[in-house]
Amino acid sequence: MSRIQKMLIPTMLIRELRVALMAGLMCLAGATAAATGPQATEAELLAVLRSDAPEADKAISCKFLAVNGTSAAVADLTPLLANPRLAAWARIPLEVIPGAEASAALLEAATRLDGRLRVGVLHSLGVRGDPAAVPLLAGALGADDPEVAAAAADSLGRIATVEAGELLAAGILESGSPERLDALAAAAVCGAARLHAAGQKAEAVALYAVVRAASVSQQRRAEAIRGTILAEGSAGIPLLVESLRAPTKRLANMAVFTARDLGRSDQADPSFAAAVDSALVKELELAAGEGDLARAVTLIDVLAERNATGSSESVTTALARAAEAFLKPIRLAAIAALGRTGNPQALESLLAAATDQDSDIARTARGAIVALPGETVDRAIKDRLAGSDPTALPAMIELIGRRRIAAVGELLPLLGHSDGGIRVATIVALGSIVDLDNLGVLIKAATDPPSEAEGEPARRALQEASVRMPDREACAATLAAAAATVPAPARVMLLDVLGMVGGKTALEALAAAGSSGEESLEDAATRLLGKWMTADAAPVLLAIADAEPGGRFKTRALRGYVRIARQFVLPDAERAEMCRRALAVATEVADRKAVLEILARYPNSATLTVAEEAQQVPGLEAEAAQATATIRAKLTPAN
Amino acid sequence: MPIAGHPRASSISRRRFVSAGLAAVAAPTIIPASALGLDGAVPPSERIVVGGIGIGRRGEYDLGCFLQQPDVQFTAVCDVKEQRRNHVKSVIDRHHGTTACTTHRDFRELLDRDDIDAVLIATGPNWHGLMSMLAAKAGKDIYCEKPCTKNIVETLEHRDTMHRCGTVFQAGTQRRNLPHFAFACELARTGRLGKLTRVYAHPNGMRAMTSGWLPEGPAPDATIDDWELYLGPAAWRPFNARTLADGFNFEKGGGMVGGGVLEWGSHCVDLCQWAVNDCPPPVDYAPPRDGQLKCRYANGVELVFREQGWIPLGSCPVRFEGSEGWVEAGDSGKLVLSSPELLAGRKVEEIDGYPATFHVRDFLDCVKTRGKPRGNAVAACNAHLACHAANIAIYLGRPVKLDLETMTFLEDEPANRLRSEARREPWQA
Repeated sequence: MSRIQKMLIPTMLIRELRVALMAGLMCLAGATAAATGPQATEAELLAVLRSDAPEADKAISCKFLAVNGTSAAVADLTPLLANPRLAAWARIPLEVIPGAEASAALLEAATRLDGRLRVGVLHSLGVRGDPAAVPLLAGALGADDPEVAAAAADSLGRIATVEAGELLAAGILESGSPERLDALAAAAVCGAARLHAAGQKAEAVALYAVVRAASVSQQRRAEAIRGTILAEGSAGIPLLVESLRAPTKRLANMAVFTARDLGRSDQADPSFAAAVDSALVKELELAAGEGDLARAVTLIDVLAERNATGSSESVTTALARAAEAFLKPIRLAAIAALGRTGNPQALESLLAAATDQDSDIARTARGAIVALPGETVDRAIKDRLAGSDPTALPAMIELIGRRRIAAVGELLPLLGHSDGGIRVATIVALGSIVDLDNLGVLIKAATDPPSEAEGEPARRALQEASVRMPDREACAATLAAAAATVPAPARVMLLDVLGMVGGKTALEALAAAGSSGEESLEDAATRLLGKWMTADAAPVLLAIADAEPGGRFKTRALRGYVRIARQFVLPDAERAEMCRRALAVATEVADRKAVLEILARYPNSATLTVAEEAQQVPGLEAEAAQATATIRAKLTPAN
Repeated sequence: MPIAGHPRASSISRRRFVSAGLAAVAAPTIIPASALGLDGAVPPSERIVVGGIGIGRRGEYDLGCFLQQPDVQFTAVCDVKEQRRNHVKSVIDRHHGTTACTTHRDFRELLDRDDIDAVLIATGPNWHGLMSMLAAKAGKDIYCEKPCTKNIVETLEHRDTMHRCGTVFQAGTQRRNLPHFAFACELARTGRLGKLTRVYAHPNGMRAMTSGWLPEGPAPDATIDDWELYLGPAAWRPFNARTLADGFNFEKGGGMVGGGVLEWGSHCVDLCQWAVNDCPPPVDYAPPRDGQLKCRYANGVELVFREQGWIPLGSCPVRFEGSEGWVEAGDSGKLVLSSPELLAGRKVEEIDGYPATFHVRDFLDCVKTRGKPRGNAVAACNAHLACHAANIAIYLGRPVKLDLETMTFLEDEPANRLRSEARREPWQA
């Protein structure tokens, strides 16, 4: 064991190390170990750096000096900056140790190192953000080595003083190779963003302007334009509009990206967001007028996102106009947007579209209406339901259901409508709104439908209604009572619903079905109990499994019981007892082995006892012995 | 007036020229009908051209999700391992019925290609953050596996870079695009659970591990396994075959603090963040005690990491508790609710496992609309900040407190020193 290991690994971590090695996780070289805290002192770590310890030890010492090191460590770290194998390790603490010594060491190293070692030091100067590094970085900007020049530029962009920005601007104006120019431009964009964040908007805009005017890539230009728009606030809106119209994909895409959030969080200028919306509305009208589908649809999407928490009257009006446009994609986008922006003023426009002959339009409009908030919307829908327009009836029924409007009394008469489509729509809607008092309507529709075309929607509606009933037990009691009066196939369907509802009453109903003697009911009950999400199904399952040797669903019931023992959070003694009982009931080898696996998965004194007992079961001796050994091993504290 | 149904070329569609002269090419090249936009296929001009970087086991699953999409053209693959380059190329070529997929050892070549719109980054976590930023600067949209960053400073840089570059970014956390998780988060977010009090995440590990320097082995030829590129921004160490093979864990969570809660935390905390309406990360973090690591948001809601006490709903479970109810969900696709009334009659689709198909589709749709996918840079940022801060509390073995204005730890120099780690030269964002 090396010196570094002795220093860094408290005894209690050795076991952690073994676990980590076995798991194949990364750990320190042969001798060294992963530490869960900075255990070694600075003096101990520095002693390693000064010694002839292996490089591996020195590397790790550098790492821990990042937490424990002080300016006293700088002198020992600095020589490592010239070592290609250890330079990056040394920079880890040198980037974060506060104080002038670390900065000075990096500055000094930057004057004597070459190539990538110099690049690394220049980067670290940028990370430290010390303005005192600016003159040195300025000198490095003109280095013959493009990587050195790029590193200097990058660090100037990070430091982002006004002087740094001016240096970057000057570098851009001097031009040079495309690679150098790109590095300068990228750094300038970063620097300008930092200047803006520091409140120096004019300097930021000026730096962006230099980038925009240079022969830079489309990407850099787009970044600079975006930065300018953000920095100029509402004065940047014309540039946004110009960019939205740009013929180049990259610039147009950047403009759309920028438009989505522009001004939304500007608390200093609340009118900014509205001004952006206004500009976007104008662009939308232009695009729609020109038949530019893609642009119009994109602008609608942007307006919808910007106004997702509520739109102004002008935005709603513009979207409503677009919703009546000639071109279908624009209509669809606008209708959906009206729903997303949630302004009830859009209701009349959407109600008209909800009964459009084009099914896509109608469907989208109904979805948008569902999203509109407020009781005025509900009242308007109920009024239309009661109105005389038969073409509006299916849409209004659907909306009542989807918005969960309290209108059970208005819908019930429609169950007897002459039109089968209306009857189905009514059933579906009742699934969303019916109360417990009227649940029987759905039970009847589901258990005795006039046709299969109406039966399937009724079954789904009953499921939906049942699972949302606030009084789960009362709902289950209603379903169970109904199940006692209907033929077997319908009874199985009701058991399925009871399985979805859950709770004590449902469990009792399933328990009764599980031992009813009727195959279809036992089949359904054991299937549902096997998926039960609470442990109180366990005794029911065990009773079914134990009731009759060779029972049709014994194995399934037992496996459901074992599942609970395996997966649920249970007290140790209870789980062990369940395993004991399962072993007593199980006849198939696979089931017994499954129980033994559970014992081994949850090692404690109770499961150990059961495993030992199992060694007496004929045919199970070997597996039980293995389980016992496994449990004992897990319970034994490691050396 | 343009004819209805014949839209003008979209400003965001690709300009791809299919020459009429192709028919005159001497070699008997078969151009699949799909390439000409026939048989219902998406025409090349409307396809998103994607390159893949570091496509290993997980990446190959993601690749499959991409290849399922009719508007994806996978055109390049990059890997430091020759065997992987060749294998993934064969998968892609077989799918597209061509031999056109190019291979690259150095990802910068792939990023330099103007014809590539987006990249799938599925390298090990060592590269995720930096490579995403370099890809963004190259103008690519990005789908990147998690964890997306190695430390707090890199997380903030990452978010800012995605915004500055106008990048559509999707973290490979996929669960926001699964209906049962989305529903659970909606319940929390919209007040259906009452006033939210606590959100739980399963970290699948709460141990800080410092990665180090394994014994040197015989270095392979770089054309076969490029160790230098594999190391990338990680501090230099000699070649070791086990390090090369364990890309999944190498430098996860950075070299100092280690992966800790990031394994499942990247997913579960992301969902918890969505449940709390994507507010900034918690401010208080305490180290693990009695199997739980507790954090607290500025609004008083607790974020609790725990590994025990879950309803068996599969991996990556989350639980949200409020004054009027709770919900728990996991990768089985199932939900458990404190009251059935919370379902409000909705049918929530149960999708077992954690398929990434919907997440990939979300990403591709946003590439076209320039919208924000669900696992976007801000969402990823907040979740990763929380995980990194939690890992720092684990590493230091004591509570830490985050200042949301500066994203530094209040009066806590040791914790602040762990916010970042130097990158090996010449790598920098």
